[in-house]
Amino acid sequence: MTRKKLLVVDDSTIIRNHIARLLGDPRLPNLDIVGLASDGEKALAAARDKRPDLITMDLTMPNMDGEACIEAVAKILPETRILVVSALSDNATALRALTKGAHGFLQKPFTDDSLIAALLELME
Amino acid sequence: MTAYRALNHADIEVFSESISAFFENMTRRSAQVRTAYLLEAAEPIVWDDFNGLIKVSGGFRGTISFSAPRTLLDEVLKAMGEPSKSTENYLDVVGEIANQLSGRARKHFGESLDISPPLSCKRGGFIVTTVATGPAYVIPLTWGSYQAHLVVHLDLASRR
Repeated sequence: MTRKKLLVVDDSTIIRNHIARLLGDPRLPNLDIVGLASDGEKALAAARDKRPDLITMDLTMPNMDGEACIEAVAKILPETRILVVSALSDNATALRALTKGAHGFLQKPFTDDSLIAALLELME
Repeated sequence: MTAYRALNHADIEVFSESISAFFENMTRRSAQVRTAYLLEAAEPIVWDDFNGLIKVSGGFRGTISFSAPRTLLDEVLKAMGEPSKSTENYLDVVGEIANQLSGRARKHFGESLDISPPLSCKRGGFIVTTVATGPAYVIPLTWGSYQAHLVVHLDLASRR
């Protein structure tokens, strides 16, 4: 299996680090972190530069929020798969994110197992 | 002009469930959520070592705050695998907890519960403006040997 590149986007350093540490899990042997971004603007710049295969994307962030970032990334990197990882748990928000170009939605708080399962599903 | 109503028991229960979900999922240790009570203080917050605040707008108005001692946040960081115990990380995690507890409540209240990115500070670090006119509810919790508080001070548009 070819190695995949992951960009982690969240305004919380703790959450970014937590997701990054999960890549040490043996169930994710083919996934490498290529960047960590704390808002949508930085994420968009990192996506242009690193061209990730996968992105985990928070929604509530300063500067550019997650929905705007999903829309922008989907235009420039249509092959990149985006997993929304957000505390916003209503159906309308999830549906809107998926319509704008996200491929999956994982609600915070998440377990390590649920995040790993969601990443594996997007890597298939 | 929009009319607002105060929170009811079912609304408060949503936040209690959010607290349980956070600690079970992110730390794999349950929290004991105790009975909510009315806050009688000038500011809608129970100050502790570190405090995270979410401003709420949309069909709602008010604030949601989570306040915890450093010792509790030490243990949360440890449970999440975070080795660095810095002030920046305490501020980050207390804000993230406030964010997750608020965001999860949208499953109950709907997307018109518009929440801001979290503001975080040490004890007394900012002035919490009282926007809601109804009562503020304190939801106390015990996690391990530590105590923390979630304060929900929200008015809901009564047309809901």
